[in-house]
Amino acid sequence: MATPTNAIFVPKPAPGSYNKNRPAGKLLQAQTQHLREALLKHLEELAAVLAIDPRSLRTEGEVSAYIHRATAILHTHAARPPRK
Amino acid sequence: MPAGLDNLKHIVVLMMENRSFDHMLGGLMKTNPKINGLTGNESNPDTTGAIVKVQPNAQFQSQLDPDPDHHFPGVDLQLFGGAPPGPGRVANMQGFVKDYFTQTNNVNRSHNIMYYFTPDKLPVLTTLATQFAVFNGWFSSIPGPTICNRAFAHYGTSFGQVGMDIFYIKDPIPSIYERMIQAGHTAKLYYYDGPSSTMEIVNLLKNQPQIFATYDQFIADCKGGTLAEYSFIEPCYNDHPGPGGGEILASDQHPDHNVQEGERFIANTFNAIRTNPALWQSTALLIVYDEHGGIYDHVVPPACTPDGYCAQAADTGTGEAFNFDRLGVRVPAILVSPYIAKGTVVPGPEAAAGGRIFEHACIPGTATNFFLKGDAQRTVREKNSSTFLDLLTDQMRPDSDIPYFNLGGN
Repeated sequence: MATPTNAIFVPKPAPGSYNKNRPAGKLLQAQTQHLREALLKHLEELAAVLAIDPRSLRTEGEVSAYIHRATAILHTHAARPPRK
Repeated sequence: MPAGLDNLKHIVVLMMENRSFDHMLGGLMKTNPKINGLTGNESNPDTTGAIVKVQPNAQFQSQLDPDPDHHFPGVDLQLFGGAPPGPGRVANMQGFVKDYFTQTNNVNRSHNIMYYFTPDKLPVLTTLATQFAVFNGWFSSIPGPTICNRAFAHYGTSFGQVGMDIFYIKDPIPSIYERMIQAGHTAKLYYYDGPSSTMEIVNLLKNQPQIFATYDQFIADCKGGTLAEYSFIEPCYNDHPGPGGGEILASDQHPDHNVQEGERFIANTFNAIRTNPALWQSTALLIVYDEHGGIYDHVVPPACTPDGYCAQAADTGTGEAFNFDRLGVRVPAILVSPYIAKGTVVPGPEAAAGGRIFEHACIPGTATNFFLKGDAQRTVREKNSSTFLDLLTDQMRPDSDIPYFNLGGN
């Protein structure tokens, strides 16, 4: 694969480049606002599913539709980072 | 059909952040005059009226803090030098230093916006630019900031937005990912990791989580031969702790993030494709920047086909409406494939004949043309955009002719 003639060395950033205390710029601030919008959509969906009384579901079609919606929400939450 | 197209199975797009063509690649013109970079005589006036020439003094970090303005009114000043909006106004690229002064309030510091990298400082980007195809005429889609420009890469339009506001779904224009999946193809948007996430939140709003995966999955898909037909990669957008307590640096190259970390990210992405022989032979990798980030470029953005939307004066902030009839500032763009002839330079607006103009709508436009044979619903800008796969030739270059990046450290 790589040979000395076609391997190109890529340096690392200097020590001290990392700065998690750098003030967040406009792009990152916008990203958090947009994520909040997306979360609100989830909240609407969660509220809609919770508003359904499972005892009211009679047919396999109704039950499977409920399971699909509930699983989709829980599946998304399963991917969340661990709480500290 | 050339062998390069016959064998093509994957298009991968890596979109970086906020650097202009001249800032990153302008220094290449000294060794290759076909690349439309810098002579060294390009200049801007500063706020005292002194002439400030471009200089090869760009540093990896700490030089563009505060973040240069790249919102619509700021870019208007950069392009038109402060001439008020109105008929007959001509762009001259003379307002970059003046605009950066509005951020820095320091005349000397405002000159930093004219700095560019010497090619030796960016071994990854300049190697790929000189070994494969570099575009002299790839422009951001809007003279404005990140979100609206990235929207053109995903949708072929920003739905009339020129700013950072999220654009609500009001038109039935599917993203390129939705188009691909609806037609039975595969498409993925790989973001770096959870703490960095994606800037393409509209697809999350549209309840399309299946489109997304993390960069680790991209690496695994490259190794395992399971890469989607169309992939879009987002770099890391912020410095944050790693899962084991380490330090993860932003790799997007957005000022004031470390440019070398972005170089390593580009190299890692290239290596992931290049080290799987079957994938390497069947993939075209486009590396492109979303917009110029307020940093100087000498090429006047050309007019373009309007996409049918109009941003009102209240939204542009310039006092004038915008009809999406002019592109934004030029950005670096490089197409990589073993079927691209070494040293290909795609002429841009500088060419007396045969120059080609590209912008981000070319990305979904090209993918739709290639994978969906143009069937899917495309925007006006996509239909009128250039496609870039004609750069793939009949001739596959031997492995010994292809670079490999050694990320071993220093």
